[in-house]
Amino acid sequence: MKRRSFLSWGTAGLVALWSAVGVSLGAVVRFLTPSVFYEPPQNFKIGNPADFSFGPPTFLAEEKIFVFRDREKGFAVASAVCTHLGCTVGYFQSDERFHCPCHGSVFGSDGTVQHGPAPRPLEWFEVTLARDGQLRVDKDHAVPASYRLMV
Amino acid sequence: MNLIRDAWQSIIRRDPLSTDKGKSELVFLNVWLHIHPAKVKKENLKVKHTFYLGFITFFLFLILVTTGVALMFYYRPDAPHAYQDMKDLQFVVYLGSFLRNMHRWAAHGMVICVFLHMCRVFYTGSYKRPRQFNWVIGVFLFLLTLGLSFTGYLLPWDQLAFWAITVGTNIGSYAPLVGGRIRELLLGGHTVGESALLRFYVLHVAVLPAVATLLTMVHFWRVRKDGGLSRPVWKLKEAKSAELVTIGAPGNGAPLAVVPASKDKTYGLMEVVTGKPIFETVSMEEEEDTVFSYPYAFFREGVALLVTVASVMAVSLFWQAPLEELANPAKTPNPAKAPWYFLGLQELVSHSALLGGVIVPTLAVLALIAIPYIDLTPSRRPADRKWAIRAFTLFVVVNVVLIIVGTFFRGPGWALVPPWVHIVGAE
Repeated sequence: MKRRSFLSWGTAGLVALWSAVGVSLGAVVRFLTPSVFYEPPQNFKIGNPADFSFGPPTFLAEEKIFVFRDREKGFAVASAVCTHLGCTVGYFQSDERFHCPCHGSVFGSDGTVQHGPAPRPLEWFEVTLARDGQLRVDKDHAVPASYRLMV
Repeated sequence: MNLIRDAWQSIIRRDPLSTDKGKSELVFLNVWLHIHPAKVKKENLKVKHTFYLGFITFFLFLILVTTGVALMFYYRPDAPHAYQDMKDLQFVVYLGSFLRNMHRWAAHGMVICVFLHMCRVFYTGSYKRPRQFNWVIGVFLFLLTLGLSFTGYLLPWDQLAFWAITVGTNIGSYAPLVGGRIRELLLGGHTVGESALLRFYVLHVAVLPAVATLLTMVHFWRVRKDGGLSRPVWKLKEAKSAELVTIGAPGNGAPLAVVPASKDKTYGLMEVVTGKPIFETVSMEEEEDTVFSYPYAFFREGVALLVTVASVMAVSLFWQAPLEELANPAKTPNPAKAPWYFLGLQELVSHSALLGGVIVPTLAVLALIAIPYIDLTPSRRPADRKWAIRAFTLFVVVNVVLIIVGTFFRGPGWALVPPWVHIVGAE
Protein backbone atom coordinates (compact mmCIF):
# COMPACT_ATOMS: atom_id res chain seq x y z
CA MET A 1 0.00 0.00 0.00
CA LYS A 2 1.27 3.41 -0.89
CA ARG A 3 1.91 6.00 1.81
CA ARG A 4 -0.59 8.41 0.25
CA SER A 5 -3.43 5.90 0.03
CA PHE A 6 -2.67 4.61 3.54
CA LEU A 7 -3.03 8.13 4.93
CA SER A 8 -6.21 8.94 3.05
CA TRP A 9 -7.87 5.60 3.87
CA GLY A 10 -6.71 5.95 7.46
CA THR A 11 -8.14 9.47 7.75
CA ALA A 12 -11.39 8.39 6.15
CA GLY A 13 -11.56 5.45 8.55
CA LEU A 14 -11.00 7.63 11.62
CA VAL A 15 -13.60 10.17 10.45
CA ALA A 16 -16.07 7.35 9.83
CA LEU A 17 -15.35 5.82 13.25
CA TRP A 18 -15.83 9.06 15.17
CA SER A 19 -18.92 9.96 13.12
CA ALA A 20 -20.38 6.59 14.04
CA VAL A 21 -19.62 7.24 17.72
CA GLY A 22 -21.24 10.69 17.50
CA VAL A 23 -24.32 9.45 15.68
CA SER A 24 -24.69 6.59 18.17
CA LEU A 25 -24.53 9.00 21.12
CA GLY A 26 -27.15 11.18 19.46
CA ALA A 27 -29.30 8.10 18.88
CA VAL A 28 -29.01 7.14 22.56
CA VAL A 29 -30.19 10.59 23.67
CA ARG A 30 -33.02 10.53 21.12
CA PHE A 31 -33.97 6.99 22.21
CA LEU A 32 -34.26 8.16 25.83
CA THR A 33 -36.45 11.11 24.79
CA PRO A 34 -40.06 9.90 24.73
CA SER A 35 -41.90 10.37 21.42
CA VAL A 36 -45.27 10.11 23.13
CA PHE A 37 -46.14 11.49 26.55
CA TYR A 38 -48.90 9.62 28.36
CA GLU A 39 -49.75 12.63 30.47
CA PRO A 40 -52.96 14.53 31.20
CA PRO A 41 -53.96 16.89 28.33
CA GLN A 42 -52.89 20.53 28.58
CA ASN A 43 -56.16 21.69 27.03
CA PHE A 44 -59.31 20.51 28.82
CA LYS A 45 -62.84 21.40 29.89
CA ILE A 46 -63.58 22.03 33.56
CA GLY A 47 -67.39 22.25 33.57
CA ASN A 48 -70.15 24.81 33.25
CA PRO A 49 -69.71 28.39 34.51
CA ALA A 50 -72.60 27.88 36.89
CA ASP A 51 -70.64 25.12 38.67
CA PHE A 52 -68.27 27.70 40.12
CA SER A 53 -69.12 29.86 43.09
CA PHE A 54 -68.24 33.48 43.69
CA GLY A 55 -65.75 34.35 46.40
CA PRO A 56 -62.68 32.21 47.16
CA PRO A 57 -61.20 30.35 44.18
CA THR A 58 -62.11 26.71 43.47
CA PHE A 59 -59.11 24.33 43.59
CA LEU A 60 -59.10 21.55 40.97
CA ALA A 61 -56.63 19.00 42.35
CA GLU A 62 -56.24 16.82 39.27
CA GLU A 63 -55.56 19.77 36.96
CA LYS A 64 -53.62 21.72 39.61
CA ILE A 65 -55.43 25.01 38.93
CA PHE A 66 -57.40 27.61 40.86
CA VAL A 67 -60.57 28.93 39.21
CA PHE A 68 -61.46 32.49 40.25
CA ARG A 69 -64.97 33.81 39.68
CA ASP A 70 -65.78 37.43 40.29
CA ARG A 71 -69.21 39.11 39.92
CA GLU A 72 -67.91 42.10 37.97
CA LYS A 73 -64.79 40.77 36.30
CA GLY A 74 -65.56 37.17 35.39
CA PHE A 75 -63.39 34.04 35.23
CA ALA A 76 -59.61 33.64 35.62
CA VAL A 77 -57.51 30.49 36.04
CA ALA A 78 -54.24 30.42 37.99
CA SER A 79 -51.67 27.63 38.14
CA ALA A 80 -51.31 25.88 41.51
CA VAL A 81 -47.72 24.85 40.70
CA CYS A 82 -45.14 26.87 42.62
CA THR A 83 -42.64 28.47 40.24
CA HIS A 84 -39.81 27.60 42.62
CA LEU A 85 -39.66 23.79 42.66
CA GLY A 86 -43.06 22.58 41.55
CA CYS A 87 -44.86 21.97 44.83
CA THR A 88 -48.61 22.57 44.91
CA VAL A 89 -49.51 25.88 46.55
CA GLY A 90 -52.59 26.39 48.74
CA TYR A 91 -54.91 29.42 48.84
CA PHE A 92 -55.51 30.78 52.33
CA GLN A 93 -58.67 32.80 52.73
CA SER A 94 -57.41 34.28 56.00
CA ASP A 95 -54.85 36.46 54.22
CA GLU A 96 -56.05 35.98 50.62
CA ARG A 97 -52.66 34.72 49.47
CA PHE A 98 -51.09 31.54 48.04
CA HIS A 99 -48.64 29.71 50.32
CA CYS A 100 -46.16 27.08 49.13
CA PRO A 101 -45.55 24.31 51.71
CA CYS A 102 -42.09 23.38 50.46
CA HIS A 103 -39.93 26.46 50.85
CA GLY A 104 -42.31 29.10 52.15
CA SER A 105 -42.95 31.13 49.00
CA VAL A 106 -45.99 33.42 49.30
CA PHE A 107 -47.92 34.79 46.30
CA GLY A 108 -50.53 37.54 46.34
CA SER A 109 -54.02 36.82 45.00
CA ASP A 110 -52.84 38.25 41.65
CA GLY A 111 -49.99 35.67 41.63
CA THR A 112 -47.12 38.07 42.31
CA VAL A 113 -44.30 36.89 44.57
CA GLN A 114 -44.54 38.56 47.97
CA HIS A 115 -42.15 36.43 49.96
CA GLY A 116 -39.72 33.51 49.63
CA PRO A 117 -37.49 32.02 46.95
CA ALA A 118 -39.99 31.76 44.03
CA PRO A 119 -38.38 33.43 40.99
CA ARG A 120 -41.58 34.21 39.01
CA PRO A 121 -45.23 34.94 39.73
CA LEU A 122 -47.77 32.11 39.44
CA GLU A 123 -48.88 31.49 35.87
CA TRP A 124 -52.33 32.42 34.58
CA PHE A 125 -53.92 30.30 31.85
CA GLU A 126 -56.30 31.23 29.09
CA VAL A 127 -59.89 30.25 29.84
CA THR A 128 -62.50 30.33 27.06
CA LEU A 129 -66.05 29.23 26.52
CA ALA A 130 -66.34 26.02 24.50
CA ARG A 131 -69.18 25.48 22.02
CA ASP A 132 -71.08 23.28 24.45
CA GLY A 133 -71.09 26.10 27.00
CA GLN A 134 -68.36 24.61 29.21
CA LEU A 135 -65.25 26.44 30.35
CA ARG A 136 -62.09 25.38 28.53
CA VAL A 137 -58.60 25.89 30.00
CA ASP A 138 -55.45 25.90 27.87
CA LYS A 139 -52.31 25.37 29.98
CA ASP A 140 -50.10 25.88 26.94
CA HIS A 141 -51.44 29.39 26.60
CA ALA A 142 -50.25 31.71 29.37
CA VAL A 143 -52.06 35.03 29.78
CA PRO A 144 -51.42 38.16 31.88
CA ALA A 145 -52.86 38.21 35.40
CA SER A 146 -55.39 40.82 34.29
CA TYR A 147 -57.01 38.40 31.79
CA ARG A 148 -60.70 37.76 32.50
CA LEU A 149 -63.44 35.82 30.73
CA MET A 150 -66.85 37.48 31.04
CA VAL A 151 -69.74 35.04 30.88
CA MET B 1 -10.54 -42.39 47.45
CA ASN B 2 -8.26 -41.04 44.79
CA LEU B 3 -11.18 -39.64 42.83
CA ILE B 4 -12.34 -37.34 45.62
CA ARG B 5 -8.78 -36.34 46.50
CA ASP B 6 -8.04 -35.53 42.86
CA ALA B 7 -11.22 -33.54 42.54
CA TRP B 8 -10.45 -31.60 45.72
CA GLN B 9 -6.93 -30.88 44.54
CA SER B 10 -8.26 -29.65 41.20
CA ILE B 11 -10.28 -27.04 43.10
CA ILE B 12 -7.78 -26.11 45.83
CA ARG B 13 -4.43 -25.97 44.08
CA ARG B 14 -2.35 -24.28 46.75
CA ASP B 15 0.08 -25.75 49.25
CA PRO B 16 -1.20 -26.35 52.79
CA LEU B 17 -1.86 -23.18 54.79
CA SER B 18 0.65 -24.26 57.41
CA THR B 19 3.41 -23.22 55.02
CA ASP B 20 4.34 -19.65 54.01
CA LYS B 21 4.07 -20.70 50.36
CA GLY B 22 0.53 -21.93 50.97
CA LYS B 23 -0.41 -18.66 52.69
CA SER B 24 0.89 -16.70 49.71
CA GLU B 25 -0.78 -18.97 47.18
CA LEU B 26 -4.11 -18.66 48.98
CA VAL B 27 -4.02 -14.98 48.01
CA PHE B 28 -2.60 -14.97 44.53
CA LEU B 29 -4.17 -18.16 43.17
CA ASN B 30 -7.64 -16.97 44.20
CA VAL B 31 -9.50 -14.58 41.96
CA TRP B 32 -11.52 -13.12 44.87
CA LEU B 33 -8.60 -12.63 47.23
CA HIS B 34 -5.83 -11.59 44.87
CA ILE B 35 -6.68 -7.88 45.18
CA HIS B 36 -4.89 -8.28 48.53
CA PRO B 37 -1.12 -8.43 48.76
CA ALA B 38 0.24 -11.71 50.15
CA LYS B 39 1.66 -9.74 53.07
CA VAL B 40 0.37 -6.52 54.60
CA LYS B 41 1.95 -3.93 56.84
CA LYS B 42 1.05 -4.40 60.48
CA GLU B 43 0.03 -0.78 61.00
CA ASN B 44 -2.48 -0.95 58.17
CA LEU B 45 -4.47 -3.47 60.19
CA LYS B 46 -4.87 -1.14 63.17
CA VAL B 47 -8.45 0.08 63.60
CA LYS B 48 -7.52 3.56 64.74
CA HIS B 49 -5.60 4.28 61.52
CA THR B 50 -8.53 3.92 59.11
CA PHE B 51 -11.51 2.92 61.29
CA TYR B 52 -12.08 0.37 58.46
CA LEU B 53 -14.47 2.91 56.90
CA GLY B 54 -13.66 1.88 53.32
CA PHE B 55 -14.29 -1.76 54.16
CA ILE B 56 -17.51 -0.94 56.01
CA THR B 57 -18.74 1.11 53.03
CA PHE B 58 -18.02 -1.81 50.70
CA PHE B 59 -19.74 -4.29 53.03
CA LEU B 60 -22.81 -2.02 53.20
CA PHE B 61 -22.81 -2.01 49.39
CA LEU B 62 -22.79 -5.84 49.47
CA ILE B 63 -25.73 -5.82 51.91
CA LEU B 64 -27.57 -3.40 49.62
CA VAL B 65 -27.04 -5.59 46.55
CA THR B 66 -28.17 -8.72 48.40
CA THR B 67 -31.28 -7.24 50.04
CA GLY B 68 -32.02 -5.20 46.89
CA VAL B 69 -32.13 -8.31 44.70
CA ALA B 70 -34.38 -9.98 47.29
CA LEU B 71 -36.79 -7.02 47.21
CA MET B 72 -36.86 -7.11 43.40
CA PHE B 73 -38.65 -10.47 43.56
CA TYR B 74 -41.72 -8.75 45.00
CA TYR B 75 -41.62 -5.28 43.47
CA ARG B 76 -43.23 -4.05 40.23
CA PRO B 77 -42.14 -0.60 39.07
CA ASP B 78 -45.46 0.76 37.82
CA ALA B 79 -47.75 3.24 39.47
CA PRO B 80 -50.71 1.17 40.60
CA HIS B 81 -48.55 -1.74 41.78
CA ALA B 82 -45.42 -0.20 43.29
CA TYR B 83 -47.14 1.06 46.42
CA GLN B 84 -49.23 -2.12 46.81
CA ASP B 85 -46.04 -4.17 46.61
CA MET B 86 -44.50 -2.02 49.34
CA LYS B 87 -47.52 -2.78 51.50
CA ASP B 88 -47.17 -6.48 50.69
CA LEU B 89 -43.50 -6.36 51.66
CA GLN B 90 -44.49 -4.65 54.87
CA PHE B 91 -47.34 -6.93 55.93
CA VAL B 92 -47.51 -10.10 53.80
CA VAL B 93 -44.11 -11.18 52.52
CA TYR B 94 -42.13 -13.35 54.95
CA LEU B 95 -39.19 -11.22 56.23
CA GLY B 96 -40.34 -8.51 53.78
CA SER B 97 -40.26 -5.56 56.16
CA PHE B 98 -37.01 -6.79 57.73
CA LEU B 99 -35.29 -6.91 54.32
CA ARG B 100 -36.69 -3.51 53.39
CA ASN B 101 -35.49 -2.09 56.72
CA MET B 102 -32.03 -3.53 56.10
CA HIS B 103 -31.97 -2.03 52.61
CA ARG B 104 -33.07 1.39 53.85
CA TRP B 105 -30.77 1.59 56.90
CA ALA B 106 -27.77 0.18 55.01
CA ALA B 107 -28.33 2.87 52.35
CA HIS B 108 -28.33 5.64 54.96
CA GLY B 109 -25.29 4.03 56.58
CA MET B 110 -23.46 3.92 53.27
CA VAL B 111 -23.99 7.66 52.66
CA ILE B 112 -22.58 8.37 56.15
CA CYS B 113 -19.64 5.94 55.81
CA VAL B 114 -18.64 7.21 52.36
CA PHE B 115 -18.55 10.72 53.78
CA LEU B 116 -16.57 9.69 56.89
CA HIS B 117 -14.19 7.69 54.69
CA MET B 118 -13.62 10.81 52.58
CA CYS B 119 -12.90 12.79 55.75
CA ARG B 120 -10.40 10.16 56.96
CA VAL B 121 -8.62 10.17 53.61
CA PHE B 122 -8.49 13.96 53.62
CA TYR B 123 -7.22 14.42 57.17
CA THR B 124 -4.48 11.80 56.73
CA GLY B 125 -3.43 13.47 53.47
CA SER B 126 -3.86 10.17 51.66
CA TYR B 127 -4.94 11.82 48.41
CA LYS B 128 -1.44 13.08 47.72
CA ARG B 129 0.87 11.80 44.98
CA PRO B 130 0.55 9.14 43.61
CA ARG B 131 -3.05 8.76 44.82
CA GLN B 132 -4.54 11.95 43.32
CA PHE B 133 -6.71 10.24 40.72
CA ASN B 134 -7.98 7.66 43.17
CA TRP B 135 -9.37 10.54 45.24
CA VAL B 136 -11.21 11.73 42.12
CA ILE B 137 -12.66 8.22 41.61
CA GLY B 138 -13.67 8.35 45.26
CA VAL B 139 -15.56 11.61 44.70
CA PHE B 140 -17.43 10.00 41.80
CA LEU B 141 -18.25 6.99 43.99
CA PHE B 142 -19.65 9.43 46.57
CA LEU B 143 -21.84 11.04 43.88
CA LEU B 144 -22.93 7.58 42.68
CA THR B 145 -23.90 6.68 46.25
CA LEU B 146 -26.09 9.80 46.39
CA GLY B 147 -27.52 8.96 42.95
CA LEU B 148 -28.37 5.42 44.06
CA SER B 149 -30.03 6.75 47.20
CA PHE B 150 -31.97 9.36 45.26
CA THR B 151 -33.26 6.94 42.59
CA GLY B 152 -34.17 4.40 45.27
CA TYR B 153 -36.09 7.07 47.17
CA LEU B 154 -38.84 7.25 44.53
CA LEU B 155 -39.53 3.53 44.32
CA PRO B 156 -41.93 3.16 47.32
CA TRP B 157 -44.23 5.61 45.47
CA ASP B 158 -45.54 7.16 48.67
CA GLN B 159 -46.01 10.85 49.47
CA LEU B 160 -42.48 11.12 50.88
CA ALA B 161 -41.01 9.64 47.67
CA PHE B 162 -43.16 11.60 45.24
CA TRP B 163 -42.52 15.05 46.66
CA ALA B 164 -38.86 14.51 47.45
CA ILE B 165 -38.29 13.57 43.81
CA THR B 166 -40.52 16.39 42.51
CA VAL B 167 -38.47 18.91 44.47
CA GLY B 168 -35.16 17.18 43.69
CA THR B 169 -35.64 17.02 39.92
CA ASN B 170 -36.94 20.59 39.80
CA ILE B 171 -33.67 21.71 41.36
CA GLY B 172 -31.89 20.12 38.39
CA SER B 173 -34.06 22.01 35.92
CA TYR B 174 -32.51 25.28 37.11
CA ALA B 175 -29.21 24.34 35.44
CA PRO B 176 -28.70 26.81 32.58
CA LEU B 177 -29.50 25.66 29.02
CA VAL B 178 -29.60 21.90 29.64
CA GLY B 179 -31.55 21.80 32.93
CA GLY B 180 -35.04 21.32 31.52
CA ARG B 181 -33.80 18.79 29.00
CA ILE B 182 -32.00 16.75 31.66
CA ARG B 183 -35.14 16.71 33.80
CA GLU B 184 -37.23 15.54 30.84
CA LEU B 185 -34.73 12.76 30.04
CA LEU B 186 -34.58 11.67 33.69
CA LEU B 187 -38.35 11.67 34.19
CA GLY B 188 -39.33 10.56 30.69
CA GLY B 189 -42.02 13.24 30.92
CA HIS B 190 -42.81 16.64 32.34
CA THR B 191 -43.97 15.55 35.79
CA VAL B 192 -43.09 12.71 38.14
CA GLY B 193 -45.24 9.90 36.75
CA GLU B 194 -45.15 6.30 35.59
CA SER B 195 -42.28 6.75 33.15
CA ALA B 196 -40.24 8.47 35.86
CA LEU B 197 -40.82 5.51 38.17
CA LEU B 198 -39.65 3.05 35.52
CA ARG B 199 -36.59 5.14 34.64
CA PHE B 200 -35.57 5.54 38.27
CA TYR B 201 -36.01 1.79 38.76
CA VAL B 202 -33.75 0.90 35.82
CA LEU B 203 -31.14 3.41 36.98
CA HIS B 204 -31.40 2.12 40.54
CA VAL B 205 -31.17 -1.64 39.91
CA ALA B 206 -29.02 -1.82 36.78
CA VAL B 207 -27.20 1.24 35.50
CA LEU B 208 -25.89 2.90 38.67
CA PRO B 209 -24.94 -0.34 40.51
CA ALA B 210 -22.99 -1.47 37.43
CA VAL B 211 -21.09 1.82 37.20
CA ALA B 212 -20.48 1.82 40.97
CA THR B 213 -19.13 -1.74 40.80
CA LEU B 214 -16.73 -0.86 37.98
CA LEU B 215 -15.46 2.26 39.74
CA THR B 216 -15.10 0.35 43.02
CA MET B 217 -12.89 -2.19 41.25
CA VAL B 218 -10.70 0.58 39.85
CA HIS B 219 -10.63 2.25 43.29
CA PHE B 220 -9.42 -0.94 45.02
CA TRP B 221 -6.97 -1.78 42.24
CA ARG B 222 -5.34 1.62 42.56
CA VAL B 223 -5.09 1.37 46.35
CA ARG B 224 -3.25 -1.92 45.83
CA LYS B 225 -0.99 -0.55 43.09
CA ASP B 226 -0.13 2.50 45.20
CA GLY B 227 1.25 0.28 47.93
CA GLY B 228 -1.82 -0.58 49.95
CA LEU B 229 -3.53 1.69 52.42
CA SER B 230 -1.63 4.87 53.04
CA ARG B 231 0.35 4.57 56.25
CA PRO B 232 -0.03 6.91 59.21
CA VAL B 233 2.19 9.91 58.86
CA TRP B 234 4.03 9.26 62.13
CA LYS B 235 5.22 5.90 60.82
CA LEU B 236 6.91 7.42 57.79
CA LYS B 237 10.65 7.60 58.22
CA GLU B 238 12.88 10.37 56.98
CA ALA B 239 14.56 9.37 53.74
CA LYS B 240 18.20 8.60 54.39
CA SER B 241 20.72 10.29 52.14
CA ALA B 242 22.60 7.08 51.57
CA GLU B 243 25.43 6.57 49.16
CA LEU B 244 24.35 5.26 45.81
CA VAL B 245 25.50 2.12 44.07
CA THR B 246 25.24 1.23 40.44
CA ILE B 247 23.89 -2.13 39.48
CA GLY B 248 23.96 -4.07 36.27
CA ALA B 249 26.70 -2.41 34.26
CA PRO B 250 28.19 -5.24 32.26
CA GLY B 251 31.37 -4.22 30.44
CA ASN B 252 30.99 -0.82 28.86
CA GLY B 253 27.20 -0.93 28.83
CA ALA B 254 25.06 1.67 30.54
CA PRO B 255 24.05 0.91 34.15
CA LEU B 256 20.59 -0.53 34.62
CA ALA B 257 19.84 1.43 37.76
CA VAL B 258 21.35 3.54 40.50
CA VAL B 259 19.94 2.72 43.92
CA PRO B 260 20.77 3.68 47.53
CA ALA B 261 23.29 1.40 49.18
CA SER B 262 21.75 -0.14 52.27
CA LYS B 263 20.80 -3.49 53.63
CA ASP B 264 17.52 -3.15 51.72
CA LYS B 265 16.77 -5.65 49.00
CA THR B 266 16.41 -4.45 45.44
CA TYR B 267 14.29 -6.47 43.08
CA GLY B 268 14.33 -6.03 39.34
CA LEU B 269 11.57 -7.04 37.01
CA MET B 270 13.30 -8.64 34.06
CA GLU B 271 11.14 -9.06 31.03
CA VAL B 272 11.57 -9.42 27.35
CA VAL B 273 10.49 -5.90 26.63
CA THR B 274 12.29 -2.82 25.47
CA GLY B 275 12.79 0.08 27.81
CA LYS B 276 14.29 0.38 31.25
CA PRO B 277 13.85 -2.51 33.65
CA ILE B 278 11.72 -1.78 36.71
CA PHE B 279 13.53 -1.82 40.02
CA GLU B 280 11.84 -1.77 43.36
CA THR B 281 13.65 -1.33 46.62
CA VAL B 282 12.10 -2.92 49.68
CA SER B 283 13.34 -1.70 53.02
CA MET B 284 14.34 -4.57 55.28
CA GLU B 285 12.83 -2.69 58.21
CA GLU B 286 9.53 -2.48 56.36
CA GLU B 287 9.75 -6.13 55.48
CA GLU B 288 9.93 -6.97 59.17
CA ASP B 289 6.79 -4.90 59.81
CA THR B 290 4.63 -7.08 57.57
CA VAL B 291 2.47 -10.08 58.29
CA PHE B 292 0.76 -12.58 56.00
CA SER B 293 -2.70 -11.49 54.81
CA TYR B 294 -3.85 -14.95 55.82
CA PRO B 295 -4.94 -15.04 58.54
CA TYR B 296 -4.25 -11.56 59.98
CA ALA B 297 -5.90 -9.27 57.40
CA PHE B 298 -8.67 -11.69 56.41
CA PHE B 299 -9.65 -12.27 60.03
CA ARG B 300 -9.99 -8.54 60.69
CA GLU B 301 -11.94 -7.96 57.47
CA GLY B 302 -14.21 -10.86 58.41
CA VAL B 303 -14.84 -9.30 61.82
CA ALA B 304 -15.61 -5.94 60.18
CA LEU B 305 -18.06 -7.67 57.81
CA LEU B 306 -19.79 -9.49 60.65
CA VAL B 307 -20.03 -6.36 62.79
CA THR B 308 -21.46 -4.40 59.84
CA VAL B 309 -24.08 -7.04 59.00
CA ALA B 310 -25.00 -7.54 62.65
CA SER B 311 -25.38 -3.78 63.21
CA VAL B 312 -27.65 -3.34 60.19
CA MET B 313 -29.72 -6.33 61.29
CA ALA B 314 -30.02 -5.03 64.85
CA VAL B 315 -31.13 -1.57 63.67
CA SER B 316 -33.62 -3.21 61.27
CA LEU B 317 -35.19 -5.22 64.06
CA PHE B 318 -36.02 -2.16 66.14
CA TRP B 319 -36.61 0.66 63.63
CA GLN B 320 -39.09 0.49 60.78
CA ALA B 321 -38.35 2.14 57.44
CA PRO B 322 -41.00 4.85 56.93
CA LEU B 323 -43.82 4.38 54.44
CA GLU B 324 -46.35 7.19 54.10
CA GLU B 325 -49.65 7.16 52.24
CA LEU B 326 -49.90 6.63 48.48
CA ALA B 327 -48.34 9.34 46.30
CA ASN B 328 -50.85 12.12 45.66
CA PRO B 329 -49.74 14.70 43.06
CA ALA B 330 -52.55 17.04 44.12
CA LYS B 331 -51.56 17.32 47.78
CA THR B 332 -48.13 18.52 48.83
CA PRO B 333 -47.30 17.51 52.41
CA ASN B 334 -46.27 20.42 54.60
CA PRO B 335 -43.34 20.65 54.99
CA ALA B 336 -42.16 18.65 51.94
CA LYS B 337 -38.63 17.51 52.62
CA ALA B 338 -36.01 15.89 50.42
CA PRO B 339 -34.03 12.87 51.77
CA TRP B 340 -31.90 14.00 54.75
CA TYR B 341 -28.60 13.98 52.81
CA PHE B 342 -30.14 16.50 50.40
CA LEU B 343 -31.63 18.70 53.13
CA GLY B 344 -28.49 20.86 53.17
CA LEU B 345 -29.09 21.36 49.47
CA GLN B 346 -32.79 22.06 50.06
CA GLU B 347 -31.80 24.60 52.73
CA LEU B 348 -29.65 26.38 50.14
CA VAL B 349 -32.42 26.06 47.56
CA SER B 350 -34.92 27.68 49.93
CA HIS B 351 -32.86 30.85 49.55
CA SER B 352 -32.08 30.66 45.83
CA ALA B 353 -32.69 27.78 43.45
CA LEU B 354 -30.07 28.71 40.85
CA LEU B 355 -27.34 29.83 43.25
CA GLY B 356 -28.04 27.34 46.05
CA GLY B 357 -29.30 24.43 43.99
CA VAL B 358 -26.95 24.49 41.01
CA ILE B 359 -24.00 26.88 41.28
CA VAL B 360 -22.86 26.23 44.87
CA PRO B 361 -23.15 22.40 44.68
CA THR B 362 -21.40 22.31 41.29
CA LEU B 363 -18.54 24.43 42.62
CA ALA B 364 -18.35 22.27 45.76
CA VAL B 365 -18.03 19.06 43.71
CA LEU B 366 -15.44 20.64 41.39
CA ALA B 367 -13.48 21.82 44.44
CA LEU B 368 -13.55 18.31 45.92
CA ILE B 369 -12.28 16.85 42.65
CA ALA B 370 -9.56 19.50 42.39
CA ILE B 371 -8.20 19.07 45.95
CA PRO B 372 -5.28 16.75 45.09
CA TYR B 373 -4.28 18.95 42.14
CA ILE B 374 -4.40 22.23 44.11
CA ASP B 375 -2.87 21.01 47.37
CA LEU B 376 0.61 20.22 46.09
CA THR B 377 2.57 20.24 49.34
CA PRO B 378 4.06 16.76 49.55
CA SER B 379 3.92 16.71 53.35
CA ARG B 380 1.10 14.84 55.02
CA ARG B 381 1.88 16.19 58.48
CA PRO B 382 -1.09 18.21 59.86
CA ALA B 383 1.30 20.99 60.94
CA ASP B 384 2.33 21.56 57.31
CA ARG B 385 -1.21 21.71 55.94
CA LYS B 386 -3.09 24.01 58.29
CA TRP B 387 -4.98 25.87 55.57
CA ALA B 388 -6.07 22.74 53.72
CA ILE B 389 -7.37 21.28 56.98
CA ARG B 390 -9.17 24.51 57.92
CA ALA B 391 -10.86 24.78 54.50
CA PHE B 392 -11.99 21.15 54.49
CA THR B 393 -13.21 21.35 58.09
CA LEU B 394 -15.26 24.42 57.17
CA PHE B 395 -16.78 22.44 54.27
CA VAL B 396 -17.68 19.55 56.57
CA VAL B 397 -19.11 21.78 59.32
CA VAL B 398 -21.23 23.83 56.88
CA ASN B 399 -22.63 20.62 55.38
CA VAL B 400 -23.48 19.10 58.75
CA VAL B 401 -25.02 22.32 60.09
CA LEU B 402 -27.17 22.81 56.96
CA ILE B 403 -28.39 19.21 57.14
CA ILE B 404 -29.21 19.55 60.87
CA VAL B 405 -31.09 22.81 60.26
CA GLY B 406 -33.02 21.30 57.34
CA THR B 407 -33.85 18.12 59.24
CA PHE B 408 -34.76 19.39 62.70
CA PHE B 409 -35.38 23.13 62.48
CA ARG B 410 -37.68 23.47 59.49
CA GLY B 411 -41.41 23.24 60.07
CA PRO B 412 -44.54 23.85 57.97
CA GLY B 413 -44.00 26.37 55.19
CA TRP B 414 -40.25 25.89 55.72
CA ALA B 415 -40.42 28.26 58.69
CA LEU B 416 -37.69 28.08 61.33
CA VAL B 417 -39.19 25.98 64.11
CA PRO B 418 -37.10 24.42 66.87
CA PRO B 419 -37.67 20.66 67.19
CA TRP B 420 -38.94 20.99 70.78
CA VAL B 421 -41.88 23.18 69.71
CA HIS B 422 -44.97 21.21 68.76
CA ILE B 423 -47.23 22.83 66.20
CA VAL B 424 -50.86 22.02 66.77
CA GLY B 425 -52.69 21.02 63.61
CA ALA B 426 -49.53 20.68 61.54
CA GLU B 427 -49.63 17.90 58.99
